[in-house]
Amino acid sequence: MNTDCWLLVTADGWGGAFRIARALPGRLTAVVIGPRLLAEQVAAAGPDEVRWTDPGPVPAEAWGAALAGAAADAQPGVVLSTTDPAARVLLGAVAGRMHARLVPAAVALAVEDDRLLVRRAAVGGETIETLRCTGPVAVTYGGDDVAAASGAAAPVTPVELAAAPLAVIASEPLAVASGLEDADRVVSFGRGVRARDDVSLVQGLAAALGAELACSMPIADDLGWLDKSRYVGRSGNQISPALYLAVGIGGAPQHMEGVRGARVVAAVNNDPEARIFRTADYGIVGDLYDVVPELTKAVRNLPSKELEQ
Amino acid sequence: MRVVVVYKWARNPTDALVRSDGSIDWRNARMTAGEDDPAALAAAFAIAAGSDGEVLGLTIGDGDASWALARGVERAWSVADAPSLVDNAATAAILAAAVRHLGEVDVVVIGDSRQDAGVPVALAGELGWPALVGLTSATTVDGRLQAARKVGGAAQTVLLPTPAVVGIAAEADVDRAPGMKELLAARKRPLTRLSLAELGVAPDDPESLGCAKPDSTPARVFAGEPAETAAQLVAALRSEGVL
Ligand SMILES: Cc1cc2nc3c(=O)[nH]c(=O)nc-3n(C[C@H](O)[C@H](O)[C@H](O)COP(=O)(O)OP(=O)(O)OC[C@H]3O[C@@H](n4cnc5c(N)ncnc54)[C@H](O)[C@@H]3O)c2cc1C
Repeated sequence: MNTDCWLLVTADGWGGAFRIARALPGRLTAVVIGPRLLAEQVAAAGPDEVRWTDPGPVPAEAWGAALAGAAADAQPGVVLSTTDPAARVLLGAVAGRMHARLVPAAVALAVEDDRLLVRRAAVGGETIETLRCTGPVAVTYGGDDVAAASGAAAPVTPVELAAAPLAVIASEPLAVASGLEDADRVVSFGRGVRARDDVSLVQGLAAALGAELACSMPIADDLGWLDKSRYVGRSGNQISPALYLAVGIGGAPQHMEGVRGARVVAAVNNDPEARIFRTADYGIVGDLYDVVPELTKAVRNLPSKELEQ
Repeated sequence: MRVVVVYKWARNPTDALVRSDGSIDWRNARMTAGEDDPAALAAAFAIAAGSDGEVLGLTIGDGDASWALARGVERAWSVADAPSLVDNAATAAILAAAVRHLGEVDVVVIGDSRQDAGVPVALAGELGWPALVGLTSATTVDGRLQAARKVGGAAQTVLLPTPAVVGIAAEADVDRAPGMKELLAARKRPLTRLSLAELGVAPDDPESLGCAKPDSTPARVFAGEPAETAAQLVAALRSEGVL
């Protein structure tokens, strides 16, 4: 089994993918289409080689066909990317050209009896399936992101490849709620809060915790109780606070995508079957109208220095 | 532009039951409209409208193919015997064969599913076309295909050549349930069935060695008197070092 691996990188967040690629016995080539700094960071993690193409202002996806051609020559046995859209497009181009299988959401790779075993997250991560593959395999990484370990730095070889005519013709900064992105603590609420006037209840808890206030999408989009720049989720903010406290939020997968990077997730919900309890670390089953005032009180009773960030 | 919109091409993971041994019971789940399908359909119409084009529907498997016909698509094709597969490249190969069967096509629009994140990109790879995925919308301006996306804190507009594949990731549920008139109209619209044999594809999956539940610690959930549970949670958060 050929376990030479190509890891396709176009943006940050490649640490987890790198780790499962490095676990294979073959030669690891990192193919970076991005700024020089990114190529150097990947090189420091210790692949065997980094092939780097500087896209300048052009979307990395423009190099799909050229990379596919290069892969057809080099014939890696395994090709890996994150779920980053650009890296995925490159992966698809390579897989199509090589007639490789493409397994999404891989969390581990191993070789057994000269065959590649791919463990993949299925049903939204509720179960892990093991697949035995022959022939070239492309996978997207579906595990948690981890910081890349440092290894023996690899050389970075600049590679010139032909690009398809894709171009960014306009770019405007998105509105970001000040403070939410790098907040240490975030208190967030959802449709469990019944009226606009009750928002102050949650606000009080956030203030006591020295936390930023956020919400689920319907609170901002449908009800307009908070600004749209404050909702969390796939289509809103993706944040990584130390504490994310969700009050009256159901825990839809689209919402939870926004807090995958949070260290501790806690939830208050009156439904013991609420989906959020499946992914949270801590929870209180109870009516938020009873629990939130008590939480606020309990936090206020803490010695004040404990809440300094 | 001649636009193909791919819809109802996967089963919904919320229709599956994971048993305690980790095995999956799909409970006879059928392929359904994905959460990104309505946004993909809207993009297909926007691309066609900007270019005096037309939108053709393409679906696979056992889902109800009239979904798109009841939402304004005039003609659709269904590869009804296509199975649900783990290998995203195999699914993409079926779709690519069907797209080729439709003749000259300028743009393929498909929902950029979280569950099967490899299908849109493998479809582009199989066709050998450029692609963008993770898009919020797409349209045609002055005869040229352009797409919108959010990247690194910016909203970008990107111009791409045709033919191309565009993968739309919905930002919200934009589906509009069709009315009686649309449902009736859908019945009269042509739906052509294709088979894998006709398309010359014989998809298969890698061998599965079984499933197991991941190691994860369940939530510590407090229930009881509000004052007590509040104190318990605060104590737990303090011991985690986040308070
Ligand atoms: C394509 C797409 C993209 C989306 N993107 C996002 C996104 O980025 N962000 C996002 O948030 N959503 C997003 N959504 C919507 C998402 O699917 C959910 O509909 C939404 O997150 C639900 O919001 P919620 O949890 O506030 O409301 P609900 O799901 O209604 O949950 C309210 C919760 O409050 C609990 N509750 C009720 N009363 C009380 C009480 N008195 N005390 C305690 N608990 C109580 C209920 O048990 C329930 O669990 C998206 C949807 C789609 C289709």
